[in-house]
Amino acid sequence: MWRVPDDERRWGAAPPFPHVVVDDVLEPAALAALFEILEDEPVERYVADLYAFDATAPVPTTAAFAAMRDDFAGTFAPWASRVTGKSVRGVDLRAYAYRPGDYLLPHADHQDGLDRQLAFAYYLPSPEPPTGGELELYACRLDASGAIVETTSAALIDARPNRLVVFDVSTISLHQVREVLAGTRLSLSGWFYP
Amino acid sequence: MIPVGSRTATIVDDAVSPSAVGELRARLTGYARYALVDRGSYDAIEPVADSTVRAALAPLIAIASRTTDRQLALTELRAIRLRAGDYLLAHHDRIHDDYPIELVLDLSPAASAAELHYRRRGQVMFRMPSIPGSLAIVERGPTVTSNHTYVSKRTPEVEVVRLVALLGDLR
Repeated sequence: MWRVPDDERRWGAAPPFPHVVVDDVLEPAALAALFEILEDEPVERYVADLYAFDATAPVPTTAAFAAMRDDFAGTFAPWASRVTGKSVRGVDLRAYAYRPGDYLLPHADHQDGLDRQLAFAYYLPSPEPPTGGELELYACRLDASGAIVETTSAALIDARPNRLVVFDVSTISLHQVREVLAGTRLSLSGWFYP
Repeated sequence: MIPVGSRTATIVDDAVSPSAVGELRARLTGYARYALVDRGSYDAIEPVADSTVRAALAPLIAIASRTTDRQLALTELRAIRLRAGDYLLAHHDRIHDDYPIELVLDLSPAASAAELHYRRRGQVMFRMPSIPGSLAIVERGPTVTSNHTYVSKRTPEVEVVRLVALLGDLR
C-alpha cells in the first residue's frame, strides 16, 4: 500500500527547522481502499481558539482504521528513524477535513508529558482541491532565557495530494495550517512516538 | 446576564450611538503590530491615553457599577484591532485573581462574524458578537481567560475594533 522512499532525505537541511517532504508515497491502486476505510470512520467537528476543522476521533473507532494506522507506522517509522536519527515506532493518526474557513493557527506540537518525537501530515486527493491550506513553518528568534521574541514565516508547503511531510517536534517548531479559502483539504496527520 | 456565584457576564446593546462609534474609533491612532504568532496577530494601542476616549467611558463605567453593584474605576485601557487573518489566543490573555470587571466596547465599522470569547477553565462561557456600539461587562477571575476569534481571510473587508477597559473597585 505505502511506498517507502528509496532515497535518504537530508534531515535539517532546509530552514526553519528539520523537515522532509516526500511525494508519491501511496500506491495509486491503494487509494480506493484507503478511502473505503476513511468512509467508515466517524468524523466530528472540532472548534477552539486555535483551530476549526472536521476530524476523526483521537483513537480509531473501527478495526480497519486502526489497522491502517498500524500499517502506516510499520512502514514509515523505520524510515523516519533512519532519516531523522530519532528512534520511533508507533504513531497517533487521525483523518482531517479542512473546509472553507477552517484553519489551524500557529503552534508547536510539543507538550510536556507527551513524547511526540516527529509530526507528520499525508495529503489525500480531494474531489474539490483546496485553495489555501498550506503548511506554513516559522522561524523563531529566542532571547537569553529561551523565550520566543520574534516569529517569521520561513517555509510554505503545498498540501499536494499523495505528499508526506515529516517535521521535528520541539518547543520552537512553530507551524500552522493556513486557512482553506475554497475546496476541501483532506489529510492524515499525527505524531511518531518512541 | 449569566450570574455564576458572584460572577457577571452581560451585553448591553447600543451602549453608544453609531455616530459615537465612528468618532471614538477615529481617535484611536498609533496602533502597534503584535505578531508573536503562537499567541496572537493583531494591532494594539496600549494604553489608550486619549482624554476624549477615556471620558466617553464614564457613563459605561456607571452602567457596570450598577450592573455589578460595585463602585468601579478605570485602571487600564487598551484598544485591539483585528483584520483578516488576525486572532488573539486564550493563552496570550492575562490571568486576573482580583476579580476586576472588564468592559469591552465594540467600535468596529460594521458587524461581522468575529467574536470575543470568555472561557472558564478553557470552556467558552460567554460570547460577545461583533456589533458596533455594543458593550460587554464581564467579571474576570483566576479561571477566566478570553480570546478574540480568528478573522477569516474570506472576508478581507472586515475590521474589528474593541476598546478594552479594566475596572477595579474604587478605594
